[in-house]
Amino acid sequence: MRSYVARIAIFIGPLIWIMARPGAALATQTHGGAEGLIAHQLAHLFYLVSMGVFIYWLRKRRLVAESGWRMIQFAAAFLIIWNFDTFFVHLLDETPGIIRTYRLSPWTIRIETEPGFEALASIYYLAKLDHLFCVPALWLLYIGLKRLSSGNLKAGGDVP
Amino acid sequence: MTVSFAPIWAVDVIGSILMIVLSILCFRLARQLKRREADNIMWTYLVWICSALTIFAVSRSAGHILKQILLLTGSPHLWASISPFSGAVNTFTFILVGGLTLFFERTWDINQEVIQDRRSLQNAHSELLYLNENLERLVTERTEELALSEQKYRGIFEASRDMILVTAPNGRVVEMNPAGYQMLGFQSLKNENGEANSRDFFSSPKDCEGILSSINAKGFVSNIEMDLKHTDERRIRSLISGSLDQGAAERDSTIHFLVKDIEERRRIEEQIAQADKLASIGQLSAGIAHEINNPLGVMLGYTQLLIRQTKEGSETFQDLKTIEKHVRNCKTIVEDLLHFARTSPPKETTIRIDAAMDDVLNFVRQHAEMERMQIIREYDPSVLEMRLDEKKMKQVFMNLIMNARHAIGETGILTINTAYNPEGKSVEIRISDNGHGIDKQNLSRIFDPFFTTKPTGEGTGLGLSVSYGIVKNHGGDIRVESIPGEGSTFAIILPVVPPNISDESKIDGKIAADR
Repeated sequence: MRSYVARIAIFIGPLIWIMARPGAALATQTHGGAEGLIAHQLAHLFYLVSMGVFIYWLRKRRLVAESGWRMIQFAAAFLIIWNFDTFFVHLLDETPGIIRTYRLSPWTIRIETEPGFEALASIYYLAKLDHLFCVPALWLLYIGLKRLSSGNLKAGGDVP
Repeated sequence: MTVSFAPIWAVDVIGSILMIVLSILCFRLARQLKRREADNIMWTYLVWICSALTIFAVSRSAGHILKQILLLTGSPHLWASISPFSGAVNTFTFILVGGLTLFFERTWDINQEVIQDRRSLQNAHSELLYLNENLERLVTERTEELALSEQKYRGIFEASRDMILVTAPNGRVVEMNPAGYQMLGFQSLKNENGEANSRDFFSSPKDCEGILSSINAKGFVSNIEMDLKHTDERRIRSLISGSLDQGAAERDSTIHFLVKDIEERRRIEEQIAQADKLASIGQLSAGIAHEINNPLGVMLGYTQLLIRQTKEGSETFQDLKTIEKHVRNCKTIVEDLLHFARTSPPKETTIRIDAAMDDVLNFVRQHAEMERMQIIREYDPSVLEMRLDEKKMKQVFMNLIMNARHAIGETGILTINTAYNPEGKSVEIRISDNGHGIDKQNLSRIFDPFFTTKPTGEGTGLGLSVSYGIVKNHGGDIRVESIPGEGSTFAIILPVVPPNISDESKIDGKIAADR
């Protein structure tokens, strides 16, 4: 009986000690500042890597010999480029002191850089045209699916 | 750097619209593929990917369009409040598309396995369906094929002129074809134990043991000459080949024998060899006889001349008489040798065989104490008159009957029968006795000149030789069958020659028969 009481005391004692000494609550982490940006950038990187892995498997399985999958491979490659581009633009936009943009009128903007980095303004301007990469990506995906569809129709199903 | 905002705006807005349109088109295409093959996991996967891309495109493009509109309409503060939500949705769609893409490899593998399994199932299903629809026909066809095959091989087995025997490795008889039954004289193979053993077929069971052990060791034996045993104890010389047929289990193994009866062939070969031997001896004898005959004639002539000049009763007269007697004996032997060698052509007259045989029997009865001997005469009435040298044929009958009497002793049975064979156009005269028979080792020598089993002084050993020569000289043949202890049978086969046939053609026929 005495040993039973001793065991209860060993478990419950520390709990009572913690409850008797309250401090700041650390249970839930706050999400402020740059966390959203970092999450978004990591998502871009994840998207980029997954497209790279996708291309790797398409080539390893020799699916690229078929024109439909080859087009889808090109679509994945364009999405990789698009992810690079957008990652770069987000980096310039959100990193203080590198690029500053001002809207002078509804159809005119001014891009400022640190002295000696003027070329970066032109690169930034071009990089903002990211749809030049993601639209071809989706178009190639569409073509690829269409070819897979026609190939499947010819084969009477069972493809791939 | 001051630049126009229009290109960025145009690319952003038009690109966003195109993104929405293209993503929706991709989604539709993927849906169509999925509908076409609802159970194809790859199309399902592509629908997921396209769904994620559509969500990504719509949320991002809608956000961009809204942003441009709000900026142009001078409401940047409104966009500032919406922007975090749009960015968060975009982040979510990136992860969604990326995550789904990473499952491509596993989805592909699963799809390949599903396709393979489906093909296997389809093949199995097709086979089952085919078998189900055609089972009865297939069974019928197979049964017919088997029946035909069985009929074919059964035909070979049944119709074979050679013995085909199937035994277990220990010699137990499994099956034997009709030729085997006929060859060995069996009606049924089963003994008191209900089974037969191939050891019973061999003259010596050791031969069977040897063959079985060779087959079990080597797997086969080929063309081994062995003596088989007829049910009447007759020996059958045979050529045996056998091979082991390994069954699925050891107890299923069988030995297949092919046995060829070569008794007749061997007998003919022996007869040819015997004839060759006797022909050689005949040639030798004829040469010697010719050389001796003339000096004997001179000796006999001079002896008789001296006898006439010598006083009868004197000692010299007696000596000359002794010389004359022995010279005459020598001349008889020499003449017998010449008969054996067939140097003189037969002096043929038309005689009846049965009459000639009766004359000989009467003569022998009177002179050879045959009262206690039973003589059975079975003459075939269809045997007509024949052109034969009567004196010489009687000599043949005399020799054979005297030999039979000698073999029988005082009591016994002498059987004489004649038979006409219309197919072979020949007459067979059989002289049989139930005497002591002839030993196996002597059978091949009985026609040799000077061969005799009688004690010295009782026989010259020329009787059968002379008989052989006379029969051959008539274009016939003489054969002997004997079982030691049971008796012997001499068979004379004479060709039936029509009385009008010319002597020349008769001689030609005789030469051909000799060959």
